[in-house]
Amino acid sequence: MDITILGQQLLGYIPLGDIVLYMAPLNLFMFVSALVFTTLIAISRTETQVEAEFGTLKDRGVKVDIKEFKIRRFLAIVCGLATAGAMITGDLFDFTLFVCLIGIVNIGIVSAVKQIDVLNAAFQYGLVAMIATLPLFGGAALILASTGTISLLEIANIPTTAMMAFGSILLLLGVAGETGVAPFYATKAEMFRTPGSPFLLIIHLSSLLVIVRLIEILLIINKPF
Amino acid sequence: MSASVLVPSVVSPVVVSLYVPAIFTGIIVGLIGLLAISYQKNDLSALILTDIVGIGMLILVAAVGTDLAESLILPGLVVELAEIMAISEILMSREMRKQGEKMGEPGKKVDLIPLPMSLDMEILTTAPAFMAIILIAYGAFLSGFTGGAIAGGGILFYVISKKIRGVPSGMWEGVAGVSGVAWCLWLVGFIIFFAFPDLWLLALFLAAFGIFIKVAFKAGLVGVMGREEFKKE
Repeated sequence: MDITILGQQLLGYIPLGDIVLYMAPLNLFMFVSALVFTTLIAISRTETQVEAEFGTLKDRGVKVDIKEFKIRRFLAIVCGLATAGAMITGDLFDFTLFVCLIGIVNIGIVSAVKQIDVLNAAFQYGLVAMIATLPLFGGAALILASTGTISLLEIANIPTTAMMAFGSILLLLGVAGETGVAPFYATKAEMFRTPGSPFLLIIHLSSLLVIVRLIEILLIINKPF
Repeated sequence: MSASVLVPSVVSPVVVSLYVPAIFTGIIVGLIGLLAISYQKNDLSALILTDIVGIGMLILVAAVGTDLAESLILPGLVVELAEIMAISEILMSREMRKQGEKMGEPGKKVDLIPLPMSLDMEILTTAPAFMAIILIAYGAFLSGFTGGAIAGGGILFYVISKKIRGVPSGMWEGVAGVSGVAWCLWLVGFIIFFAFPDLWLLALFLAAFGIFIKVAFKAGLVGVMGREEFKKE
């Protein structure tokens, strides 16, 4: 079994010391789209939300002031870069660290808002993200212990054992909690109600891309085909 | 490839057999944390108990017990700290806003510690210096990253206990400046490593003490942040 799954072709490696990035069409596509999106939000301006009340004319514009706007743009760019890094890394622990960084930055993007219910949601999401570090790092550590390496290029050549399968299940749980997908989505949905839309979209995009990349990693580890 | 191949023969079998109990310990610690969260639902308890789950994660990583695991614990710990700081920041800002809204002025800032408490105790003037000196001396003896963390803890302890009285703002800038210089030392040490491998001893000491001072004076950063947060000079 090679590292190229789903009939991909390996386009090349970028050896950075012991961290080897590898490029296959899927990874490269996701990497480039994360970067393009990051550039788009880096040059865009934030929206102004209007909070309307039913039955009255008391509409109120919710603006983001310049200081908050700058912090949020910076964090959104960090989130985009972390997503891009998670796409092409060939190192399992690097991947988990990038996912954790995405989780932290996601909390940071909404942490400066003034709405209490949004802060509430961010707090709940933060708790889930923090709990999720246990299965995330635990899974990666189990895979490290049962294979002796965290390089995906090496893991691709090692036959799957039960421990590796268990580790990858933990990894799946961890990434699900950290990016706030399906079972944990309820905590994250409220976060999108904050003003400052183009930056918030990176939260969505990062979790989507990370999940796709995780599926590729799980296929590499478990080799079902 | 079985696991036994990867373990050097000099490692005693007792250490190798500790792996499975350690994994179970980690998972059980995590489960205890989760169980406790399900009983204690108030926000502050949940935050503190979540940290216990995080410690379970560290046990799982540490259980691997190789050099690689050792280097992986550090990012794990950093991630853990960063997350708990971010979440407690959110909790604090939410509570401040709630308080402000209760008083009828949503935009108004409220005190961080809204207690009519006089924190003017004898121990606050005598203990910090003593504790800080012991910690800094021990940290200097250890040098490197660990020593930096310990000495930084000492400085932070000193500063936090003095902050009630108000630390002069100039001190923060000085500490932050020294931190920057120390980082340059560390970089120079690294460059010497690559450029002149013969001078490895000098490079090692530059790097070790550079990072020692750097990590110790991370406290400076915390202080600068603290000043901006509380607007106290």
